[in-house]
Amino acid sequence: MFEKYKIFIKGISLTSAGRLGMIFSTSAFISFILFELLQISGILTNAYIGLITYLLFPALFIFGLILIPIGWYLYRKKMNMSTSELMKKSFGEKGAKGGAIGSLIFRTVLILTLINVLFIVVAGFSTLKFMDQSKFCGTACHQVMGPEWTTYQASPHARVKCVECHVGEGVSALIDSKLSGLRQMWKSVLNSYERPVPTPVHNLRPSRETCEKCHWPAKFYGHNLKVIRRYSLDKDSTLKYITLDMKIDTGKEKAKAGIHWHIAAENEVHYVSVNEKRLEMLWVEVKQKNGSFKRFSNSALKGDVKKVSEEKISVRTMDCVDCHNRATHIYEEPEKAVDKRISKGQLDRSLPYAKRVVLAAVTANYPDKEAGLNGISNYLNGYYRRKYPDLAGQKLDHISEMIKTAQEIYSRNVHPVMKVEWGTYPSFLGHKRDTGCFRCHNNNLKDEDGKMISFDCTLCHSILSYGEDKTFKYMEFPDKKSPNYKMHKMLREEFLNSPE
Amino acid sequence: MKRIFLVGIIIMFIVSLSFSAISDKDTLAGKCMTCHKEKSPGLYRQWFSSAHGMHNVTCIDCHSAEKSDADGYIHYDILIATLVTPKDCGKCHKKEMEEIDKSYHAKAGMILESADAYLAHAAGGHPVAIAGCESCHGSKIIIDSKSPNKLSIKSWPNSGIGRLNPDGSKGSCTACHTRHNFTKSQARQPEACGKCHLGPDHPQKEIYEESKHGNAYYTNIPKMNLDSDKWVVGEDYFLAPTCASCHMSATSGQKVTHDVGDRITWTLRPKVSKRLDNWQQRKKNMVDVCTNCHGKTFVDGHYYQYDALVELYNEKFAKPAGEIMAIVKKNKLLKNKAAFSNKIEWIYWEIWHHEGRRARHGAAMMAPDYTWWHGIYEVAQHFYFKLIPEAMKFKNAELDSYLDKLLQTPMHKWLNQPTDQLKKKIKSGELQQIYKELFKKKN
Repeated sequence: MFEKYKIFIKGISLTSAGRLGMIFSTSAFISFILFELLQISGILTNAYIGLITYLLFPALFIFGLILIPIGWYLYRKKMNMSTSELMKKSFGEKGAKGGAIGSLIFRTVLILTLINVLFIVVAGFSTLKFMDQSKFCGTACHQVMGPEWTTYQASPHARVKCVECHVGEGVSALIDSKLSGLRQMWKSVLNSYERPVPTPVHNLRPSRETCEKCHWPAKFYGHNLKVIRRYSLDKDSTLKYITLDMKIDTGKEKAKAGIHWHIAAENEVHYVSVNEKRLEMLWVEVKQKNGSFKRFSNSALKGDVKKVSEEKISVRTMDCVDCHNRATHIYEEPEKAVDKRISKGQLDRSLPYAKRVVLAAVTANYPDKEAGLNGISNYLNGYYRRKYPDLAGQKLDHISEMIKTAQEIYSRNVHPVMKVEWGTYPSFLGHKRDTGCFRCHNNNLKDEDGKMISFDCTLCHSILSYGEDKTFKYMEFPDKKSPNYKMHKMLREEFLNSPE
Repeated sequence: MKRIFLVGIIIMFIVSLSFSAISDKDTLAGKCMTCHKEKSPGLYRQWFSSAHGMHNVTCIDCHSAEKSDADGYIHYDILIATLVTPKDCGKCHKKEMEEIDKSYHAKAGMILESADAYLAHAAGGHPVAIAGCESCHGSKIIIDSKSPNKLSIKSWPNSGIGRLNPDGSKGSCTACHTRHNFTKSQARQPEACGKCHLGPDHPQKEIYEESKHGNAYYTNIPKMNLDSDKWVVGEDYFLAPTCASCHMSATSGQKVTHDVGDRITWTLRPKVSKRLDNWQQRKKNMVDVCTNCHGKTFVDGHYYQYDALVELYNEKFAKPAGEIMAIVKKNKLLKNKAAFSNKIEWIYWEIWHHEGRRARHGAAMMAPDYTWWHGIYEVAQHFYFKLIPEAMKFKNAELDSYLDKLLQTPMHKWLNQPTDQLKKKIKSGELQQIYKELFKKKN
């Protein structure tokens, strides 16, 4: 039984190309099976093993298979004999003799080819499946994707696969993504890619196909109570609350409408921004009831900028990512990052000036990651040893914990290799430093009558506490003696009188 | 009965109307605050920690505008003005507003409308007139309907002390009571005055720093009780005076005044110093401040020395220099037509406008170095070796004869005498005798 395979193998390994093909395909086949078994059994877990199993082995296998006929062709040319003569020579009279379904050797080739095709299909699917895994996207090009992989894992979309938003469905999406993957791989090999990597929201799949699979606009969003814990920069890092009742519904009636009004089915908002960063608007248009559009133009822009931008940038219809531009790859703002760790109990604010020093440590300028991690440790250790020598001894554990947390904040958000620093990728949620909402809701964008887009604070949220020591401070009766009396009173009445 | 009932209803209606108006205004105030707490947290926190904050004086109490205001503009739901003028502040601070209005400070902006701005505009240029002169003196606020806040950016921002406001009022309280926390303490510190009162032409701040008064202040800042509401010298503080102590603040016998000229006897600004109107009363006001910390003879001695220095400057240099310039002009000796287009004009200008003022201010506030080295020393050098040689170049008979006569007068005769002789005269006191009249002058 095995004798004939031996003869067969000998027969096709007559030239060096054939031999090599034989070795490649056979060893790739055996290794693939072996590695697959090892992975299934959980012995191998490294993502790079996946790269070898699903990319290298199938590629070697196919390469080997291609080499075999080439070898046979070369052999035939060299010997200057016909195929049947060669067959007889290599496999003997018996092997080459024709039967009901071809010769013995033909049947062998047929069976092996069937096995090969089956293997290629299985391996191909495994390869595609493997490349669909977030782990592949995140770790295959570990340096380039490092920052995105880090932030993704800590995001609310950590269980949604990369490809579900970045590739989409269908053959054309798949081909597109593989082609752009090839291009990116080439750039990565040449080390010619941009740092920081530009945000791909511009060619992201439309949110109708991605976000809206789970978050559809017709859903009722209602209100969302947001309690922000903000710690002061004083010695005790005193806790202050900002409590916002976010009005986030799509609501049809004007009074009930909230922030998702922008993407409600009956509404449409267009805009043109000055450049691809989408930070400054040239104009914004809103669909009116009669189907026409009302335009608000940026009165602060000078003629030259206007002209250049209008030529370059196309009109965009607002969708999810215009605000949720960092729904997954969320880079924290330094202050929020520190606040969050304190409120989670990862930073001991009984250490004097805890927030201030951690903030200073993580936002200092370090040349590379290692210097950053060391710098944070040196800074915090040094600070407490110098200023509070007694405490530094007593609370050694707390300081160590603080250093660990500060390093974690730094590692999560700052990636010097990729030139990702604090603020490299701003979030458009909210309105910190006049970005986000205030890109359109500001006093520069005016319609023909000079009317601005409203940016009343209570348009999007009722304010129940604003830097106060109680979560619902403004639900209480206002204190006439406080400088904040009028604000308190106004905010209280606004909340109590706002619909639903 | 029916009538009373009706009247009652009407009164109740009016009361409820006015209440709703108040609450409406409060709502608007609340809106301003909410937004500005976010958008301009620094400004908000300054205000929050201010006395205005403590007394519920909020944004619109100062910034709301009337329809008739040229600089009023709609900011969201409300008509406001960016510019807050002494008239606005005067709604609550009436006395201060009135004192400011009649003070010399309030006239600072008028200078810019007169020929005094000439030099900056001609020799300098418009940008320096705005960023330099008008920054202290105050600009004439120009209304520009295209500007977002109706104020022309050529005249705003400006917090010059004599700003000419569209509502007709003069000045800006924020020149000293910096917005938005408007504390008294900052206006009591010499740094408040030091924004303008410094430099080569009127270095009052540096003079103060050189003087013992300044020394004492900088040594004792924490003990100066600067934040106290009541700030009476000798009661609430006693270790040093600041500019405000002597020129404005209350004593046990005097109320605080916002007319900074109320306690000065001389005008040290012009070419030749003159006594101010009613200077005897003004002097009494100042002596009242001095005597909180000094004996009467000490104060008298100071005035004796200070007055003589002013007379020295007037008689020995200012008047003769003025006379030289008058003869030059009378005989049309200047080559170029425009003012300040001839060298001698610049020499004369610096003698009185820079060096002469330094000497006089130095003596007034007891800064010896300013009185002599930065003062009379430079006046003398430039008088003898710049002004006179430049005047001699004209070779004009009238001028030459004036100069010859001048140099023969007792105060200038030394130029042609041997050093030995002069030294002997100094030793014997004979040279000093020349100046004895200066000590006797009373006005």
